[in-house]
Amino acid sequence: MCWFSFSLQKDADHAVVIAVTSRAVFGSGADDDEVYGEGLAFPLLQALQRVNEHLLMNNPAELLLFDIVLLTTDSQQQQQSPRIISSTRHYGLEVGRFCFSSEEDFVENLLKNNVQLFLSTDRNEASQATQRGVLSALLDHQTASCPSEQLKVLFFGDAVIQPDTGPTPPSRQAARSFSAQLGEMQRRFTMSDSPLSIGLVTWRGGRDSCADALHTLRSRGVRVDEAYCLAEAPWGPILSVFRPHFLLSDGFGGLEG
Amino acid sequence: MSEIKDSSAKAEESRTEKDWKEAKAAFDNLKSTKPRPPKPQNAVTIAVSSRTLFSMVWERKVFKEEGVEKYVAHHMDHEDEPLKPGAAFPFVKALMNVNSRLRELYPDSEELFDIVLMTNNHAQVGVRLINSINHYDLAIERFCMTGGQSPIGYLKAYMTNLYLSTDSKKVKEAIEEGIAAATMFLPEKEIALSDTQLKVAFDGDAVLFSDESEIIVKQHGLDALFEHEKQFENKPLAQGPLKCFLEALGKLQRKFYAKNERLNCPIRTYLVTARSAASSGARVLKTLRSWGLEIDEALFLAGAPKGPLLLKIRPHIFFDDQMFHIEGAKEMGTISAHVPYGIGQKYNKSKLIEQPEQPAKKESPKKI
Repeated sequence: MCWFSFSLQKDADHAVVIAVTSRAVFGSGADDDEVYGEGLAFPLLQALQRVNEHLLMNNPAELLLFDIVLLTTDSQQQQQSPRIISSTRHYGLEVGRFCFSSEEDFVENLLKNNVQLFLSTDRNEASQATQRGVLSALLDHQTASCPSEQLKVLFFGDAVIQPDTGPTPPSRQAARSFSAQLGEMQRRFTMSDSPLSIGLVTWRGGRDSCADALHTLRSRGVRVDEAYCLAEAPWGPILSVFRPHFLLSDGFGGLEG
Repeated sequence: MSEIKDSSAKAEESRTEKDWKEAKAAFDNLKSTKPRPPKPQNAVTIAVSSRTLFSMVWERKVFKEEGVEKYVAHHMDHEDEPLKPGAAFPFVKALMNVNSRLRELYPDSEELFDIVLMTNNHAQVGVRLINSINHYDLAIERFCMTGGQSPIGYLKAYMTNLYLSTDSKKVKEAIEEGIAAATMFLPEKEIALSDTQLKVAFDGDAVLFSDESEIIVKQHGLDALFEHEKQFENKPLAQGPLKCFLEALGKLQRKFYAKNERLNCPIRTYLVTARSAASSGARVLKTLRSWGLEIDEALFLAGAPKGPLLLKIRPHIFFDDQMFHIEGAKEMGTISAHVPYGIGQKYNKSKLIEQPEQPAKKESPKKI
């Protein structure tokens, strides 16, 4: 079931639909107050909104915007649906759609709503969505909560440069079209005033692997701003400095190990 | 009959398959002849900025006069043209040579130099940087292209032992965070350097040691310093920002000594100090000894200019805290690196640049 916020409807043909779980945005704490407290993904949502604001500043008729869907699968939170809606209003979060689903059929909901990126703090949920072809990224404490003004997206290059053996899995197709749209958004801005920063990190291989990933992303219309070639150095320390809002792994986001 | 043919056909097939697998394995081996970089915690990590590794004078001009977009576009248009070597280039080649020698003697050890490119540049400029690194076949597999963000966090993330940049602000920040760092300058002439031995020259005060003695000279004069040093001969000086780097070099040197390669060691260290051996030299040597550190040659100049001596040594890098020593060395062709640490930064030769908080002293400070 989805409730639409009419004033915030985006053009379905051009908008980039991102679904975030309310558990990620508001956390699971039971507050006595009227509104929920800020969760892990709160800064991420604000960063997405800032990108929209900048896009509209440059062109008030802009159609390529982020369209945010707030998905609630937690049954406890579902019972508090009015509180979820009032909380988003309280914080000025621009949510286009509120969707309430069970754990069993939330993926159907994602597909019906043409979600291009699904963000969750729950590994199982992210994995289920990927298997059905929806690009997903796992949010944790190293990501999402970065208070940066810019929206920081990090591509995991090792996945980007995997050879195309056999048919392309739907999640990889989804990753490619999402990254092409990000690239399109980036081109609306110059280097010095972009509200969006695209990073690339490669772990396996050396500088040539990173160069390959840079070229591959370039060919998809994505201009990488920051690049980190680890050559098997531990990525924890690097990630904790870069602090992306989310990590894209050309399929399933979230580095194993 | 057909059975024999079948079996011989199968044998032929399996032989072809085996050949193919061997060829593939050989090819894969060829692709990965590059040695794997060591884990940061085992290595002596040297971070170099793009402008120390390569000379980008013309491009810098484009950046200053036309802005970042034109600058990046310029690099992208010339992506396949390798950049010219910069001030740190010979140093990097010398580090690579030490690594080859270490790998010969200790094939399984990760106690090696690890060279990381640490640049503020945009990743699109990075493509040209990678192409240039490929052109010169430099052993640099790790890099951070921060697109304008501060490199300090990444320096720490890589456990950097030494950071070289042309940007003195970043270098100062690194030193304040406890990372050995220096601002590199391109020498005014090119002189021939050894390609079999890495030579590193250090000034003493405010580089290997703290600036406590510099303070005495600047405020009370050279004579006061000599008296002071004689009095405190047996008290070790406090450490300076480059002490740990000397320590790291010493550790690698001992690996060669352990294999009877002392005479043929590809690392040599020098102390080039304005102190005089007779009056203030002992404290320095005793301090090094108390730290368990060796320096191969200690040269006490007693105030004489450093330029001519450095020309004899021909180090791949010379660290000093005072800009006039750096200028003097540069003029004669020595690759110099300024360590912006201590009281020497407030003076130009012996003249105070900014007023200190302390009351003025009567004696005029002599040049050291």
